[in-house]
Parts: sequence; structure tokens; C-alpha cells
Amino acid sequence: MAWQIQCTASPPLLPSFPPFTLKSTSSISLPLPLPLPLTRSSRFRSTHAPSPRPIAASFSAVESTTSTDGLGNSKTPLLEVKGLTAVIAETKQEILKGVDLVVHHGEIHAIMGKNGSGKSTFSKVLVGHPDYEVTGGDVVFKGENLLDMEPEERSLAGLFMSFQSPVEIPGVNNIDFLHMAYNARRKKLGEPELGPLEFYAYIYPKLDLVNMKTDFLNRNVNEGFSGGERKRNEILQLAVLGADLAILDEIDSGLDVDALRDVAKAVNGLLTPTNSVLMITHYRRLLEVIKPTFIHIMENGRIIKTGDSSLAKVLEEKGYTAISAA
Amino acid sequence: MAALTFIHQNLLHSTPKLTTSKPNLKPKRTKTKLSIQTIRESPQASFTDQFVLQLADSLEDSLPSSSSSSLPLQKLRDNSSETLLSTQWPSRKDESFRFTDTSFIKNSDINPISHPPNSLDLLEVSRDTQFEIFNFVDGFLVDSSFSSSNLPDGVYVGSLSKLSSEGILKRVCELLGDFEWGDLFWSVNGLGAPDLMVVYVPEGCRVENPIYLKYIAVEGADKGSKKMPLSNPRVFVLVEKGGEVGIVEEFVGKVGSECYWTNSVLEVVVGEGGKVSHSYLQKQSLSAAHIKWTSVRQEKTSTYELVEVSTGGKLSRHNVHVQQLGSDTVTELTTFHLSVGDQTQDLHSRIVLDHPRGYSQQVHKCIVAHSSGQAVFDGNVKVNRYAQQTDAGQLTRSLLLEPRATVNVKPNLQIIADDVKCSHGAAISDLEDSQLFYFQARGIDLEIAREALVFSFGAEVIDKLPYSFVQKQVKDHVKALLKSRRKGSS
Repeated sequence: MAWQIQCTASPPLLPSFPPFTLKSTSSISLPLPLPLPLTRSSRFRSTHAPSPRPIAASFSAVESTTSTDGLGNSKTPLLEVKGLTAVIAETKQEILKGVDLVVHHGEIHAIMGKNGSGKSTFSKVLVGHPDYEVTGGDVVFKGENLLDMEPEERSLAGLFMSFQSPVEIPGVNNIDFLHMAYNARRKKLGEPELGPLEFYAYIYPKLDLVNMKTDFLNRNVNEGFSGGERKRNEILQLAVLGADLAILDEIDSGLDVDALRDVAKAVNGLLTPTNSVLMITHYRRLLEVIKPTFIHIMENGRIIKTGDSSLAKVLEEKGYTAISAA
Repeated sequence: MAALTFIHQNLLHSTPKLTTSKPNLKPKRTKTKLSIQTIRESPQASFTDQFVLQLADSLEDSLPSSSSSSLPLQKLRDNSSETLLSTQWPSRKDESFRFTDTSFIKNSDINPISHPPNSLDLLEVSRDTQFEIFNFVDGFLVDSSFSSSNLPDGVYVGSLSKLSSEGILKRVCELLGDFEWGDLFWSVNGLGAPDLMVVYVPEGCRVENPIYLKYIAVEGADKGSKKMPLSNPRVFVLVEKGGEVGIVEEFVGKVGSECYWTNSVLEVVVGEGGKVSHSYLQKQSLSAAHIKWTSVRQEKTSTYELVEVSTGGKLSRHNVHVQQLGSDTVTELTTFHLSVGDQTQDLHSRIVLDHPRGYSQQVHKCIVAHSSGQAVFDGNVKVNRYAQQTDAGQLTRSLLLEPRATVNVKPNLQIIADDVKCSHGAAISDLEDSQLFYFQARGIDLEIAREALVFSFGAEVIDKLPYSFVQKQVKDHVKALLKSRRKGSS
């Protein structure tokens, strides 16, 4: 059964082994690379059906093992974090105390953990938030050293973070903001920038995706937006800009059931066989609508446990104490 | 803070003492013409400022010779002339000019403009607006530029001299120039205004389209020249009980006119339950002097809303005085000043509340984007003894974008009533890091992000302008100014 294979063969599921150690001790490879895109896409079409999930998870796990098979045709991970430590820039208080994480193409990861465990800090550090200072460790994104890049370069490289509480920018029109960001992307790709009308044509269909009305575009960025509107706006940005790795920082907080479903539907709609998602959440209900390949538990600035989606259930029933004690 | 402003008031109260010496000086004024040189050496020696006397003389000389001036205007001139005799040219020692150096005007060769330019065809054709534009050229109302036929019955917009209604004339006569807070510039206008434009809205009348006043400075000297043609446009707006009108004032200089002085006065009286929405756009040449007074009196339950965007002038000052005459008034002042060059932008505002349940909100924002640019804000809100249950708020935010750029802010609330809700705040900053980061996180580089944020800082005020075509026009203007700055610096 696929389930079993996954548990024994997949390195990230064994918390006692940091991913990079497994890289050297090349492990089992399963000859299943071809059906991968097919299963991925079928999974996204039926996000609410539970059955395809473990299969997808196992394929991802397979992919991660092939990446370490040392045969020369290996795929590098999309994101590889090793021993990342970071402090608050102002107070020098250490928040991240050695985070290890590997995300491959097409995987969905979820990080859960108590308040103050460092989840949000981790996501902000990845996108280069100036409030934090990296003091040690490595982060490689698409084969490049992420920590050397400016925040805008990280974004252009394909890293996207949806903010937990996006800042209001009075006086800047939402569509102008998106237009600027989109053109920055096109410029980076060497494509001609879009004029306002062309851009409008491009963005208009995306509104349906997040279930927003057109007037949403003419409002100032996040100004006077409700909690739900802010989250939808973040996802709209993701839809417009695209990303290889989307970090969704508590995309579910402050959302009612309907809004959560809308947002989750939008995220699922954006998934492709190659892009990946890193979700940060407190609640299992998000994981029921966006199915994770892996769940990581963060505590005191480290990832202390990694497992499949069943971890969320354990968490729900027994709380974080059960996990940190185990 | 309150104590400081009281000292300021004492200063103003001491003026009657000075006027006693007036009779002796009057003959002197008509006889002697002193050169500027002597005056500069001893301006404080007598109660009368010789420089001001000379200016008053030249203003009188510039007035139209015809004695057709109507009664209210004559009264205004007499009063102003009298006041000028006892007023000194402001110095940095005067509290209200502490941060505003007017010597730039004083050191120029001021020449009051005595007649409108001969060829008016150089006027810009009014742009794509659906509204009629009333043109002031060098302080003279150009009658041919409009017809009042599209206005509702009973509304009068035009020169006082052409006003035929005795009733309106009487009302204007009662109210015009009745103002104790003016300074030298108020009086200079009172004496030098060649005409008075009257906007009259009768009881219960709602004027749909805004009255768009465009003030154009045509006569102007080259940049760096000492010459400074002076114009004194004056407008009086009277809205009777329940009436409503929008006023747009736009100040510009003709292309090629660099150095000139516009000294403008707008008086507004809003009757019970009436509403005046005032948009004020100052886009003068960066070498010009621009002094402006806006005096507003509000009857009970009336509303006055001001949105100002000032970007021009080497020296620009707006004095706003709002006086509450009855209870339950609404006053909103939203202003934005931009200094992209070696400029001083000054806002002196004063809201006086004497009656219960007034509401006043003031937001002032300024950007100084030049190392020798300066912004000044003195915002006074006075909540007097009987102004109980007043809700007054004041907020000022300044953005300094260059080293040595200067802002002097003096927000002050004087509260005597004890049952009020008042708030105020002042912030001086660079751009918000969290906002800059939001742009960067979406792949937008820092320079573009900064530019967008600087613009948005002012756009918050521009968005309050009640007419979209005005908004667009102002946005384009501000964008161009900010862009010119970037080009200039790189």
C-alpha cells in the first residue's frame, strides 16, 4: 500500500533525521516519475474527496527520494532550509533556533504550532522582512542562495508570501498596485510591460477566482478592507503574479466558513503539478480544504515533528503538549 | 502650548493703541515718498512702517480712477487703508511669522497691477470640463468669460459693480470685510482689490455645478528679476439659509510668467443649514509669492468643507479662519502642501468654536522634497466656554524626503469648555517601512515603491476633492512635479 511506502521511504517524515543527512545516504528510489503530473492534477480537481490525497503524498515522497538518488538526473528541491536561525532586528531576541525544511516541487506543506513558536517569523524571514535578522543557516531556493537576495528579488524569483495582516496603503489604488507588481515581473522575464487596458483584460477573469467584484480593484490597497477581503486580496495577488512557492501565513485567520471555502478554492485552483505551498495555520479546518502533503510542528523556533496529515488529528485530540512530549 | 498662543493674542489686542497715532501720520503718507533703502534701516523706529505706507500709496494709485466704486468696496478700502497705517511689515519676531520669512517679497520691486492685460486671447481655452470657468486675470474679473444664464434663479455670480439687486447689495454691505483677525496681507488686498466678485446663493437654493474660479497671473517678471507685479483678487461668497454651493479656486501663472505676487482673499458666509464645499488648488510658478486668506463664518447647522492642494510658489501662505456663529456646525479642513523646490509652504489655520455641538475635523499633510524646502503649519482650534459637546480632531503628518528639509508644525488646541471630545496628533516621518516592504514583497523595487508611496501620501487628500475631473488634473500635476524632482536629482 502506498501509505506504507511513504512512511518508510520518505525522509521528511522522519523527524529524527534532518533532510540534508539523508541526501548523502541516498535511499530507495521508486520508478514512478511519469504519472506524477496526472495524479497531481486529478487531485486538485477533487480537493474535497479524501481518497486521492495519500496517493499524491506518496508520489511527492517518491519525488523527494529521487532527488537524492545520486544518479545525476536528480531534481534539486525547490526550497531547502538548513539550520536557519534568526533574531528580531531591534531587540536581538532569538526567535528561530535552527529550522530545517525541504520543500520539493508540487508539495503542500503545513506548519502548525503554538502562538509564539516562530511560524510567522519563519515565513517572514524567508521573504526577507526587515524586522528580522538572519544569524545562521542556509536557505536555497531554486538552487540559489535566498538570503543574498533583496525582498523584491525573492518575489521575482518566484517566492510569494501572503501576509497575515496586510498593511493598508491609503492613496494607492489596488489595480495600480497589481499593475506595478505585474509589470515588474514581466520586466524581469524580459517581456514587454502591459498597458492599463491590457492589464485590465488580464486581471478581470482573476476576480472570479477569489469571488470579488470589480469595484474591489478601484479601492485603495487594503484600506478599509474586512478581514476576509484582505485575505482574498492576497490570494488575488498570488493569482496575478504566480509563484513557485506560495507561503500562506494564517490565511484562515479571521475568516468565516464561506470565506475560507472561497479562499481555499482559489488556492487549489492555482495549484499546478510543479508549484508548492507552505501554509502556516492554527486550525485543522484549513487542512481539510487544502490537503497538505506534510505537516510540521514547530516549537520554540524549531521544527520538532514532521508527519502526514494524520498529525493534525493527533494535534486536535491531544494538543501540542502530546506532541512535544512524544 | 495654550499659553504661547495667548501671548500671540495679546499682541493682536495691542493694535488699538497703535492706531491712536494715525491722524498725525496720514498727511505724511500722501506727501513723502521714501526710498526703500532708508526704510530698511529703521523699520521699527516708528509705529508706521514706511515701506507699508509706500506700498499703500502705490496700491491706491493702481486703483481704477473712475469713482464708480460701489459702497461696500469703498468702505472696505477705507477700513483697509486705515489699518495699514498702523500695521508693520511682518518680521520673524511676530509669532505668526516666526517660521515664514516674507523678506523675499519685501526685497522685491512691488508693482501693483493697475489694469488687466490688453490681449486676453492668450488665455488658455478651458479644458475638458463640463463646467463654466470664471476667469480672474491679474486680479481682474473677466466678465466676458462667462454667462450666468445657466445658474438657478436668484443666484448671482459676477462683479459687484454689475450687481443690480438692492437686496443682495445690502447683504454684502453688511457682511463684507467684517473681520478682526486679518493681517497686513488681508489689508493690502482690501485696499488693492480692483473689484469684488460676488457669489450669492439665495435661501434653499442648491447650485448643482461648482463655481469654478480660475486666477491667472499673466503679468510676471523673469525668474531672478527683482520686479514683482502684484494682484489682489477678492471674492465674497454668501450662501443664505439652506443654500448649497461648491467653489473651486485654481491659481496658476501663465507660462513664462515666473515672478509675481498674488495676494488673494476669499470671504465665505454660510447661512443656517447651508453648505459650502471649497476646493482650493494653488499651482503657481515656483518663483512666485502667493498669499491667500480664507475667512469663513458659519451659522448654525451649516457645513464648510475645504480641500486644498498647494504646490507652487517660492513663498506660499494660506491663512484660514473659520468662525462659528451658531451651534451644530460641521467644519472639515483637508489640506496637502508639497515643496519640491526651494519653497516655503505655510498653512495658518484657526477654527473658533463658540457654540455647542460643533464638529470640526482637520487633516493637514505636507511633503518637503528639497533640501532647502520648508513647510510651516500652525493649526489652532479654539473651543470656547459655550462650545460644549464639541467634537474636534486635528491631525498633521509631514514627510521629509531630503536631508535638511524642514518642517515647523505647531498644532494647538485651546479648550475652555469642559464637556468636549478633542484629539490631535502630529507625525513627522520618512515613509513607512511596512508599506515599502509590502511593495518589495510583490517584486516592486524600492525606488518605484517610494515614488508610489510619496504620491499616495498626498493622494489621500486629493481623493477628497469632490469633482473627479479636478482630482485627475491635480493628480497629473503632482505626479509631474514629483517626477521632475527625481529627474533633477539624478
